[in-house]
Amino acid sequence: MKAAPEDGDLVAMTLQGNSEAFATLVERYDRAVYHLSYRMLHNVEDARDATQEAFFKAFRSLRTFRAGAKFSTWIFAISYHACCDRLARRKHDAGDELPDRADPARGPEQQAIALDEASRLRRAIDALPEKYRAVITLFHLQGRQYEEIASVLGLPLGTVKTHLFRAKEQLRRLLDGMEVTES
Amino acid sequence: MTMHDADRPLDSLDRAILGLALEEPPLGLRSSILLATAYRPAPPFSFLELALLGALGAVAVWFAALLVLGGGSLFVHTVTTIAAVATAALSNGATLAWLAAGGATALWLSLFTVSQPVAHASHRSGPRNVP
Repeated sequence: MKAAPEDGDLVAMTLQGNSEAFATLVERYDRAVYHLSYRMLHNVEDARDATQEAFFKAFRSLRTFRAGAKFSTWIFAISYHACCDRLARRKHDAGDELPDRADPARGPEQQAIALDEASRLRRAIDALPEKYRAVITLFHLQGRQYEEIASVLGLPLGTVKTHLFRAKEQLRRLLDGMEVTES
Repeated sequence: MTMHDADRPLDSLDRAILGLALEEPPLGLRSSILLATAYRPAPPFSFLELALLGALGAVAVWFAALLVLGGGSLFVHTVTTIAAVATAALSNGATLAWLAAGGATALWLSLFTVSQPVAHASHRSGPRNVP
């Protein structure tokens, strides 16, 4: 049985003109990239556009992909920066700092009532400040590959671990608050 | 155990985060990505073909205008003049040497891979490998 090609091989095949190879990369990562975009932007249309933009940029810049690097880290980094640009534009258009919450009218505590545990966790993640939301989402996508997360975010490894620690602390507090609200 | 300890066992919150399902992308997202990238339809004409067609069109317009405005004698005179200038230039050793030098330089430059343009800078620093 033939093993599935590695991401790096697919990149090389794409550069040799094999369209199917890039399609395989899209199939592997479009959902994760969309997930990252959605968690960052909280809007289906914006997340969709940011995901398309990330893959388009990746396709156009495939020659700059370093051999031996992880494609997942690379595409997440492109996606993360696309999201940051959109968030910056939003803040600029709003003329002010946007609140960290996705829906300021209804706090996550209220929204979480009657939702199951996973939904409560998602709401709590959405309620985190942007930098913590990013690090938690990447932890979700990449697990304990802290160096990869640091590479995506462009932050030192120690900062990533500190952000992750504090993000989890805030998550626990938010989840505790939701339980109190529900009871 | 410190807060930076990456080797500690996963706690219940870690497991809950890692167990979350990914968001469901909207319908048609994958196909729209593929249509914009790998399966993007090739343009009907390449840049060189378009340039050639444009040049042929311009010559045709010029020729038509020449015939309408000045008649055939002016056309013959113009073509004869151009041919005389071209013949004189190509029979000149210095011109041929410059043409050869230009061609060789163009060939040499074409051996280099042109890198992709660097994307606009984000408002925060990112890894160098990000386009």
